[in-house]
Amino acid sequence: MLGLFDNDYGSDGFRQCSVTGLQIHQSVEKYVKLFALTAIVALLYGGIFALTVAMTRWEVVGLLDAGDFYTHLSLHAWNLLIFWMIFMEIAILYVGGPMVLGRKLPLERVAQLGWLTMVAGALLVNYAIWTTSAPDQAPLLTSYAPLPSDPLFYTGAIVFLLGATISALPFFTALWFEKRENPGQTLPLVTFGAFITAIIAVEAILGGLAAFSYALAWRIELIGSIDAALYRQLYWIVGHGSQQINLVAMIVVWYFLTHVVGGAEIVSEKVSRTAFILYLFFINLGAAHHLLSDPAVSTGWRIFNTSYAFYGATFASLIHAFAIPAGIEAGRRKRGLGGGLFGWLTGAPWKNPIFSSTIFSIILFGFLGGITGVLMGQLQLNMTWHNTLATVGHFHATVVLGTTVAFMGLSYFVIRTMFMRAFISPKLASIQPYFYAGAMSIATLMLMYVGILYGVPRRTSEVVENIPGTDFSLAAAGPLFNVFGIFALLAIAGGVLFLVIAVGSVLFGKKLEPGDNADLTPDGLVYPDGGDVETADVEEEGNPVHTYDMRGTFVLCLIFLGAFVITYVLNWYLLSQLWQIGA
Amino acid sequence: MSSPLKPPEGNWWDQAVNRRESIWLGLGVIWSLVLFGWMSIWTRTGDQNPIGETYRVTEAEFQEKMAAYKDAAEETEQGLVPDDTSVYMAGVRFAWDGAPVVLEADTQYDFHLSSYDVQHGFSLRPEATLSKQINLQILPGYEWVVPMTFDEPGTYHIICNEFCGEGHRSMHDTIIVTEAA
Repeated sequence: MLGLFDNDYGSDGFRQCSVTGLQIHQSVEKYVKLFALTAIVALLYGGIFALTVAMTRWEVVGLLDAGDFYTHLSLHAWNLLIFWMIFMEIAILYVGGPMVLGRKLPLERVAQLGWLTMVAGALLVNYAIWTTSAPDQAPLLTSYAPLPSDPLFYTGAIVFLLGATISALPFFTALWFEKRENPGQTLPLVTFGAFITAIIAVEAILGGLAAFSYALAWRIELIGSIDAALYRQLYWIVGHGSQQINLVAMIVVWYFLTHVVGGAEIVSEKVSRTAFILYLFFINLGAAHHLLSDPAVSTGWRIFNTSYAFYGATFASLIHAFAIPAGIEAGRRKRGLGGGLFGWLTGAPWKNPIFSSTIFSIILFGFLGGITGVLMGQLQLNMTWHNTLATVGHFHATVVLGTTVAFMGLSYFVIRTMFMRAFISPKLASIQPYFYAGAMSIATLMLMYVGILYGVPRRTSEVVENIPGTDFSLAAAGPLFNVFGIFALLAIAGGVLFLVIAVGSVLFGKKLEPGDNADLTPDGLVYPDGGDVETADVEEEGNPVHTYDMRGTFVLCLIFLGAFVITYVLNWYLLSQLWQIGA
Repeated sequence: MSSPLKPPEGNWWDQAVNRRESIWLGLGVIWSLVLFGWMSIWTRTGDQNPIGETYRVTEAEFQEKMAAYKDAAEETEQGLVPDDTSVYMAGVRFAWDGAPVVLEADTQYDFHLSSYDVQHGFSLRPEATLSKQINLQILPGYEWVVPMTFDEPGTYHIICNEFCGEGHRSMHDTIIVTEAA
């Protein structure tokens, strides 16, 4: 089809990637491309509603009326937060599993069935949202019972989750075969991380099947009533669980891309793998932070899940926050690529959009998404964040500035090394991550400010210029909303630019030959025999990676911790100014 | 080369960890303990906690309680003045039953919060300082008793911040706090 799935494979169906040195079988590559392309279609479609939703919340424009707004908000949420992410994550599982292991994709038919089922589920959810009519209401992301949603919506969600499960089976099977053939052999870190991602995904999906089946059974009157608190608990297993998949998949992508295009090494296998294990045990419990300002769950339950348990995952994130930049620092120092405190960083390939996307994702996720996630995950601070636009700011920092920006970098990588296409405009591709991440950061910060400083609620079509039926409004937030509106428009332009480059390059980009990707790697190309790089002798003589200096990373991490402490203190100060609340 | 794409070589578990990474791990543990400790301390000593008794209640039962509460309360032009320190409030698409209500500063009231229909969001702030705002989730079937003591007189605005249907944006009411008697 359009030559999209062609490459020069050997008679055994394998080819060697000149950038990563991996032996890639055509069955794996075909499905990675299929899932990645589907993800990009979802991004394009869901991105349209970013425009309409943002231009409604910016009440100076006030684009949509209330009814349409909630429909568009639902479409924005499901297509971007769920479909764009999860299609891409299946591609990541196939890269992390069979591709990194140099295997065929087992159960190809199952992968095909999984893709079809996911597409069917996604189409059904979209159809149900578009055609929602009274008494049903737009589901938004959460479909909080007992506000009814279209039965087709619950059905579509269930079908999509089943499809994702089916699509994951070839990945698990590949690992099963690998372990059977190589007992006792440790998996590569990227494969290990992908495995953890997949287990967390299964947990999330089980919660999702329970939540949506429960709601569907109630909606079609198999059961007489639905408990709002129980639904919330079940829902958030998938509602936040799916975001944990985004997080862990993103971190796998960080390890993968910083290595391939930045020359990063693993400074400690033990420490990084332990962090993944901590995620496995603790991160899903963090979903409880959605219930911190709820009546039905006990204080002990809330504190246990969001502190004793969740800080296991917070600690894991702090580990990656050091390990990944340290990997870049040590790897580049080892290659003689930049000295001094930050020479390894300033001398990095900043014009390569794969590299810059990855680094922006790491920095912005940490500073804007990670810190705010911990703040709103504190039992008491949550009262000042819950259901305000600050929450929306937080998850745009995590899933847009973090995951989406990382996945954009990954998409660029797939275009160059799997579709084997040159960018239609290398210059625009270089600029895009700066433009998008920059504009989106400011839009995101504005969401946080208007939420915390003015208590502007989320999930409403108007409240700043006008609250119907009263003279009161939150007009004081207007000026910050103007900044938000302008930068949201710029960010959307940056998103459009990504789509133009990505889709344009896949369709019209110059076809690359295996030798044409030398600019992507810090070492030049891999030799066809799979032996390492031009700097092979450096590596033979090189010292163990942990002996290289990591002071640049250490300084960056201390700056991060400083920012964390300052925002923490400020948030608690604001809270302490409130009247007395609670027992 | 230690690559994330290849199985690690040799006994990777016993490989040494860089000193600065070890220091960072220590800082991470300390910070996690601070985060937990402070939250825990605040539940004991702090004035702002989303904590209160919760009871199962049907919508009809809560409506009965509300009716009894309104009977005992005094109707004024500004709003209901409760008979004692219990305040009842329920979300119902798209209004707050029991509001507006007139309360005194420096008196601790028990807010009994619930819903007659779907989930609502109880988002409260004084008109004078919008940054002083709290947000609580309101669920049908549950009565949440949250004590509150307002220290500053003024008009406090309640906005629903959980999507409850198309008219959600108009769901607003007030609490009037007067000087302590």
